[in-house]
Amino acid sequence: MQASGDISGSKSQAEKRAKRKLALELTTYLSPIIIIVVVFVFAPLAIILFFSFLKSGPYGQIVYAFTFENVGAILGGGYGKVFLKSVYLAVQTNLLCILFGYPIAYYITRFGGKWKTLWIFLIIVPSWSSYLIRLYALKTLVGTKGTINTLLMNLGIISEPIQILYTQFAVIMALVFAWLPFMILPIYAALDGLDRSVLEAATDLGATPFRRFFRVTLPLTRGGLLAGSILVFIPTVGEWLVPHIFGGSKIMMAGSLVAHKFTAVGNIPQGSSLAIMLAATLVLILYLTIKWGGREALEKAL
Amino acid sequence: MKKKRIASKILGALSVLTLTFLWAPVILIIVYSFSNSKYGSSWEGFTFKWYLKLFTNEQVRDALMRSLIIAGVTVVVSTLIGTITAYGLYKLNFRGKQFLRTSILLPIVFPSVVTGSALLVFFTRLIHIPLGFPSIIIAHIVFCSPLAVFIILGRMQRFDWSWEEAALDLGATPFRTFMRVTGPQLMPAIMASAMLIFPWSFDDFVITYFVAGVGSTTLPIYVFSQLRFGSTPVINTIGTLFVAVTMLGILLVYLVQKKTKTSG
Repeated sequence: MQASGDISGSKSQAEKRAKRKLALELTTYLSPIIIIVVVFVFAPLAIILFFSFLKSGPYGQIVYAFTFENVGAILGGGYGKVFLKSVYLAVQTNLLCILFGYPIAYYITRFGGKWKTLWIFLIIVPSWSSYLIRLYALKTLVGTKGTINTLLMNLGIISEPIQILYTQFAVIMALVFAWLPFMILPIYAALDGLDRSVLEAATDLGATPFRRFFRVTLPLTRGGLLAGSILVFIPTVGEWLVPHIFGGSKIMMAGSLVAHKFTAVGNIPQGSSLAIMLAATLVLILYLTIKWGGREALEKAL
Repeated sequence: MKKKRIASKILGALSVLTLTFLWAPVILIIVYSFSNSKYGSSWEGFTFKWYLKLFTNEQVRDALMRSLIIAGVTVVVSTLIGTITAYGLYKLNFRGKQFLRTSILLPIVFPSVVTGSALLVFFTRLIHIPLGFPSIIIAHIVFCSPLAVFIILGRMQRFDWSWEEAALDLGATPFRTFMRVTGPQLMPAIMASAMLIFPWSFDDFVITYFVAGVGSTTLPIYVFSQLRFGSTPVINTIGTLFVAVTMLGILLVYLVQKKTKTSG
């Protein structure tokens, strides 16, 4: 009797020790990131959530009075439309990126040959180059006094510069220009990892190239498409610089509203409510992505 | 067979067009950076003077130094945090692990304007961290550490852990094991994350712009402040150097990876 009691006693002691060891390891390895997440991610979000229910006074100071005014302005008013428009532009950008990105990824995998590395290099460089510099470069090309307009005017094809900037077309073009590499690379990775024998089997069994592409290749590269879409869609919804540079005050997106309220107007409560709304939109999209495509796809995309 | 060749030609033409779309603007500013025109958007003969001017431009030099210091500190701290976090996430099983992983993803997936504005309000209204170096570096660590975590975690999943087990079995303390066995083996992953985080931090404009306050001009903020003057030779030269450095960096990563692959 006594012996068995001893055994169970030492067992629970060992359990306790294991627990203590786990707690110690948890604090050593994970406390820095937990501090970052709690103090510098959750706390700031909580603050702007709190501020979004306050009002701004006539001199830009914060009036501590509870109100639903800001939230109402988004859900019922013009700001809501800007949010919908942002999602709409992001969907359009994403589809265009697939439309342009898939063929080039396919071409590099199938016909790249010895130039494969060079092709990939030429797509990776823009994806790592300064985003701001690339947008500036695009503006140099399509601006009112830009190269395209100057060239066409010198050739006598047009007499007045074409207004490309500050149109929806310009915003979408810039969005595709900025994010296209991030769609091409995951699709390329998926196509490159494809088992060639599956494709040969499809051909041997009599599938036409067209049918083979839509019934075999496309479904098998769904993971790449999903990863690319995550990389393109999510940042596009919250975009600020592209609408700021290419849309001016004509084409606004949700990100430009947030930035405008904080940096130009200085209305913190209104800016906070817009930022919270934008964050909520993204969390919803993210939730749907995880539910539909799985968490692995999301983490792989990074 | 002939049909196939035509299809591949069409596909090739499309691909070249797409690549042109991605590169034409960039090549344009590279060309203009050597142009004599002072407007920076037309060609008037070759010159090198804008580069000479750039190197004596004190605003640019200040901004560059500031950006380098910020990116340097961010890379070191984020990579350190990323390494130990990834190790902890990989090795330990505990309640709330999934929740922690999702929370770490948040700073990466949130739009920069949300992270930037939330941190700005937090710094100015709640904990009163001075805007400038401290606020910028904290903000950069906040959005770069999660990236380091997932880069290194990804590599750890394809990692041979038997060496570590052997060291522990042979009686090495966990600390010694990490410093002498696991750490050195993880070095390529750690270097990869550092190489990826450096441009991430160096190029960041939006979050930095929010929390920089007055007077802490980083290089991207300087470029942004010049944008309203339209195209200028100064930004053309900065842009050219940016692209050149990016190319060199990617080549370096490629060569290092090739070397580790062939030697290991």
